[in-house]
Amino acid sequence: MKQIGSIAGRELRSMFVSPIAYGVMSLFSILAGVFFILDVAWFNEMLMRMQQYQAFDELAQWNLNDSLIGEFYGSMSVVLMFLIPGITMGLYASEKSNGTEELLLTSPLTIWDIVLGKFLAGAVFVTLLTLLVGMFPGLLFAYGDPEVGKTMSGLLGILLVGWTYVAIGGFASSITRNQIIAFLVSFVVLLTLLLLPAVADFGVAGSAPAVAEVLRYLSAAIHFEQLLKGLVDTADLAYFAVMIGVFLLLTKASVESVRWR
Amino acid sequence: MIDARGLSKRYGDLAAVDDVSFSIGKGEIVGFLGPNGAGKTTTMRMITGFLPPTDGTAVVAGHDIFDDPIAARGAIGYLPETPPLYPEMTVTSYLDFVARIKGVARKQRRDSVDRAMERTDLTGVNRQVIGTLSKGFRQRVGLAQAIVHDPPVLILDEPTAGLDPLQIREIRALIAELTAPGAAQNTVILSTHIMAEVDAICRRVILINRGRKVVDAPLEELTADGTTLEEIFARHTSRDAADLEPDEPAEEAAS
Ligand SMILES: Nc1ncnc2c1ncn2[C@@H]1O[C@H](COP(=O)(O)OP(=O)(O)OP(=O)(O)O)[C@@H](O)[C@H]1O
Ligand SMILES: [Mg+2]
Repeated sequence: MKQIGSIAGRELRSMFVSPIAYGVMSLFSILAGVFFILDVAWFNEMLMRMQQYQAFDELAQWNLNDSLIGEFYGSMSVVLMFLIPGITMGLYASEKSNGTEELLLTSPLTIWDIVLGKFLAGAVFVTLLTLLVGMFPGLLFAYGDPEVGKTMSGLLGILLVGWTYVAIGGFASSITRNQIIAFLVSFVVLLTLLLLPAVADFGVAGSAPAVAEVLRYLSAAIHFEQLLKGLVDTADLAYFAVMIGVFLLLTKASVESVRWR
Repeated sequence: MIDARGLSKRYGDLAAVDDVSFSIGKGEIVGFLGPNGAGKTTTMRMITGFLPPTDGTAVVAGHDIFDDPIAARGAIGYLPETPPLYPEMTVTSYLDFVARIKGVARKQRRDSVDRAMERTDLTGVNRQVIGTLSKGFRQRVGLAQAIVHDPPVLILDEPTAGLDPLQIREIRALIAELTAPGAAQNTVILSTHIMAEVDAICRRVILINRGRKVVDAPLEELTADGTTLEEIFARHTSRDAADLEPDEPAEEAAS
């Protein structure tokens, strides 16, 4: 396990000499800026209307955290769903197409060194993206007084969602040598994960409530929403930990299987 | 240093490698020959721990590849059939990475990398991105990565394949130099299709055909009565002459 840093370091360096990392970061910053401005504009618009119509009950509910920051975080988590597969698609697939898989697997490394090193690299990248997201609500502290707790727990939600997506994207990359396929597979899995609550509500809630409950639990969105509300519950944290753990285990099995083919 | 014990690899019905055993002592330089598809790469991949044997095992520098895989792999410098390069990295940072994952201590890493580049004549391109290097230079980087951690055992899979005659000569000289008596890594298996290469570098020949070992003898002994290596090769592999090696004149005539 002492080689995790070697693998992660090389991976990060390669990410940052390739245009993909910069492309993803620029696109992400632009989208974050656009969404933030839209959310702020919408927030102000609604605020003005409520005052105009003297809707005091609604006005009392209207606050920076739920009506602006939460919305913004929600949009950014969806953006991550599109961008993270772009970062993770090469993690393993490119080693196979470069032939460097043979170098890694014939070096005195364990499979865990490789899998955890690559996950760490992706997680560091996502952490940078999360910091970028965090800067925007940071601006609001200069003009208003959002709740620090809620703002931070939402950001933690983005971080955990992002790490989970990295684990899933890494697994998708480990089962193919084609980066495009890796991208598509991880995107489809992430989309499914996002749509699970809808499936649960409209599809099976009536006929099989237990199944609906399971589907809803499996969705990242449900747990993310809890964090957006400022509820940091171990059950939700455990969900992310388990998802990451499961996909890392699957990735390990997949990398190992080269040896058994 | 390298003990192959009944190594076998089956893919479905095909026995890619079939019960191959040999023992290579310290300081030996062995040419590993055989026609295309004979099982050379597969054998090397089993010894280096990339592929698990279906049967049999190998012991490298005293470490069994099953019982002590990390130590066995650490003792080997391996140049696969396609050099395992990251095209976006520079030569120096690539070799530094390889030295790291091969377990070279932090303090010695810089020296190891510099020495490997010196020995493979790469010092002039040390800052260059690997993807922009010519094929011959990439092959050198492949060699440099195999020797960067001073392994006692070197396994080279067709180190001169696809190079022009000049590059072939240089790479060959390089291997001869790396394996000269007294050099640190002096136990070598080298696969090739080029008989002149065996003549120039190796002192012992192992020939496999259709996954089975058919010849294993010192070069001098084989050629003592004036037979050439080509004749020996042809004699033992003649049954599948159709898919013989690329530099066979017959193939040129056919194309
Ligand atoms: N993954 C695989 N699945 C099925 N058959 C395989 C696989 N890998 C190799 N083989 C077969 O095993 C045999 C030995 O292949 P190998 O690559 O070891 O030959 P080689 O001696 O290195 O040939 P060459 O000189 O062309 O490099 C070939 O018939 C090959 O088709
Ligand atoms: Mg081969």
